[in-house]
Amino acid sequence: MALRFELASAKASATSAPRRGKLVLDRLVGGDVGAERPAIMLETPSFFKYTRHGLQPHLVLEVAAEVDALPPATRVQLEDFLDSDTPDCNQFEGGLHKFIALDTTEILMLDTMDPTITVRTAKPTNTYMAIGSEGGTRRLTPNLFAQLVNSLKPDIVIPPADIVEEPLPSLTQGKRISKSVTRSAKWLDECMAALTHPVAVFAPVVGSHSLELRTIAAKALAARHDIAGYTFNDVCLALPLEHKLRLVQHSLELLDASKPRYMLGASAPDAVLRAVLSGIDLFDSTYPYAVTEQGLASTYVLGEDDSTSLLPHCLDLWQEAMFADFGPLVDGCTCFTCRSHHRSYIHHLLKTKEMLATVLLQIHNMHWYQRFFDNIRRSLERGSLATDAALFFQRYGCEELPSSTNEQNKQVGRPFSELDTLAAQLCSPTTKIQRKRHAESQAI
Amino acid sequence: MTATNEFGHLDTPLEASNSPALKFEVFAKCSTTKARASKMHLPHYTAHTPIFMPVGTMGSIKGITTKQLEALDCHVILGNTYHLGSRPGPELLEKAGGLHKFMAWNRGLLTDSGGFQMVSLLKLANITEEGVEFENPHDGQKMMLTPEMSIGLQNAIGADIMMQLDDVVSSLTTGPRVEEAMWRSVRWLDRSIKAHKRPTEQNLFPIVQGGLDIELRTKSAQELVKRDSPGYAIGGLSGGEAKGSFWRMVSLSTDILPTNKPRYCMGVGYAEDLVVCSALGVDMYDCVFPTRTARFGNALVRTGSMSLKQGRYSADLEPIDRDCDCSTCANYTRAYLHTTATKETTGCHLITIHNIAFQMRLMLDIRKAIVEDRYPAFIREFMRIRFGKTVPMWIVDALKSVNVDLTVPDSSGYLAEPVADDFQKVPNAWTEPN
Repeated sequence: MALRFELASAKASATSAPRRGKLVLDRLVGGDVGAERPAIMLETPSFFKYTRHGLQPHLVLEVAAEVDALPPATRVQLEDFLDSDTPDCNQFEGGLHKFIALDTTEILMLDTMDPTITVRTAKPTNTYMAIGSEGGTRRLTPNLFAQLVNSLKPDIVIPPADIVEEPLPSLTQGKRISKSVTRSAKWLDECMAALTHPVAVFAPVVGSHSLELRTIAAKALAARHDIAGYTFNDVCLALPLEHKLRLVQHSLELLDASKPRYMLGASAPDAVLRAVLSGIDLFDSTYPYAVTEQGLASTYVLGEDDSTSLLPHCLDLWQEAMFADFGPLVDGCTCFTCRSHHRSYIHHLLKTKEMLATVLLQIHNMHWYQRFFDNIRRSLERGSLATDAALFFQRYGCEELPSSTNEQNKQVGRPFSELDTLAAQLCSPTTKIQRKRHAESQAI
Repeated sequence: MTATNEFGHLDTPLEASNSPALKFEVFAKCSTTKARASKMHLPHYTAHTPIFMPVGTMGSIKGITTKQLEALDCHVILGNTYHLGSRPGPELLEKAGGLHKFMAWNRGLLTDSGGFQMVSLLKLANITEEGVEFENPHDGQKMMLTPEMSIGLQNAIGADIMMQLDDVVSSLTTGPRVEEAMWRSVRWLDRSIKAHKRPTEQNLFPIVQGGLDIELRTKSAQELVKRDSPGYAIGGLSGGEAKGSFWRMVSLSTDILPTNKPRYCMGVGYAEDLVVCSALGVDMYDCVFPTRTARFGNALVRTGSMSLKQGRYSADLEPIDRDCDCSTCANYTRAYLHTTATKETTGCHLITIHNIAFQMRLMLDIRKAIVEDRYPAFIREFMRIRFGKTVPMWIVDALKSVNVDLTVPDSSGYLAEPVADDFQKVPNAWTEPN
């Protein structure tokens, strides 16, 4: 396997302590001529850039390049490209990097499903994962997944798993979870058997909210030597974060601590901090996307100063006060948007449903997210993450677990929430089909 | 892509005009047709003509940053006065220091008068000598747009070129209404000139009207020429009239308008129209078509329009156009674009970028061909690629009027057969594989 994970210190491999490390990828880079083998490195904790159809939301490549210092890691979901049960692999000649024009120095992770779509109508069976597409439901069998991986040649894959859909523990019976654990284990075996491309497998750690079943699933994974890392994509989304993290920690105690851990659905800044403190290494940038879709600009800061007064963590560009405000989104921000444009213009673009609004906001929000992770890593190196995080929670009013009352939904005290933010994305200027896609997921 | 200097070492203009806010220099003239290549020095930028100007209705071009527009070599873009006047409004634009500063665009800007939207978007528009009376779509109140108000709005927006408010009638209208509108447009021009407060910073272009009537158009053009404006527009066309009438009205107008000033044909943007109208002596064009069609997943190529959503592109590993140097063609296959077109905003952006690059490249090729005095050969090659053997009658006729006869074979052996096809249709780029 060309991917390895290095932890900064042996002590850091304690099961649920925050850890500083790096993912190192060793593979050929560049074309057939002049191919090199530089070490591609991802300093952790870090995030994979969330993409739709292989591009970060709203950002074509030359615009994405305006955001400095983004981690060299990208995640793509197969469902964006699965238009039939028997896809023509020829279209991916040269691999997924080439197909989506991703620089070969990027670590490319292939997942099955889009993490921002949390409600799905298509149900899995014993043999396949069901993916809704324009032309009806697609059946993604572990074997088909492996075949596609063999031609797409990503660096990391998250193999298909039977994810428990019901959002609340009260709705999910033990039998359903038990089925999910058995199916996921069977699918993983089938997938591994059919893989010929040397790829790092980040296996989903399942078991939903059942500690007993989480134990079974985790022990089975811990016994395998063909797994490069772990993915937590099966923790009930509607549960409070603390509860979710307790479930994750339960699994972590049974798993190989030297392997990297990726958690989905925890990309909001407060969730990232709590998850990092619980030992999670990898996230994705769904949060900045959610912020952008709401017409908000991120303003949160970890560390950097020690003010404790309550501050807003984002700026609402929809509000009328922005109409004649010729200041940058954030004073002193060095992102492309803040250097070139002012609040008034972005407010105008939102009001007139111009697509440039989300382009400019996404640039700023990605810049901000990157900076946040940079500060997390620095804070970890200083050994001050716990204190910095406590100050952060205090400053942005997230000491209490988020309860979404309307009054809290003001700028100050609006809880960080990936899902709350995504739920209302109809207001953003976007294409018709995208709107339809979200309208459908909400109508259920 | 970087800015090119297709004029090479030409430094002495053949003809020129000097207005307080616009210097126009004709550097090359086609020795066969009426085409010419020029530099138009505007307060914010020196544009090269013939030029296509993409439309940025609300102060942005569909998800494309101004930095990208510069990289695409756009020299002038359009803003719509009606839309910008209601949102964000003239007060804010004035406070922001004009539209250039508001949207961070340092090159040329042109604004229309707002009159066209009054008529096209609003029901119940009522035109009187005073101006256009209309119902405000937001509160239902009766409002009036006068020539003075249009200029006031455009002065606040601060574009390099402003258009007079004209009395727009559909190009299909006939009878005394056309003549009334033509004379009223002249009177409104005089009121606009009087109301214009920034003549040394902004240019006011009058608009030739007169419907499809030769006498009225002639009279209109003659009246406007008397006002000695920095440039002139040809209006009231591209509204569904027969293409045979369209080109005749364009050609008639360019014959009367002064040769040392820019001529702008409004609302024209199909590739074949750009090639033909340039041969008739037009210098400037605008159209929403290239950016609008991109959002429906259609990519422009020399052979026509490629609908990337069609299943036939799902495993097509070619770029949209091998010869295109835009970032979309450098990076993506049609198969990729097929998966994302009309689904993601980035899918729109990628095709929009290509379509703008396509228009810019076409205009650059037109300018180069004129500078090198091989425009007739360029036209033949263009028509051969676009239509093959059967070229719409109106194109054959229009070109014949400027001494390019497609029905007589040239050295390349290309010979076109005119087909009676007055209906404007973009050819589908798909041809059966050999």
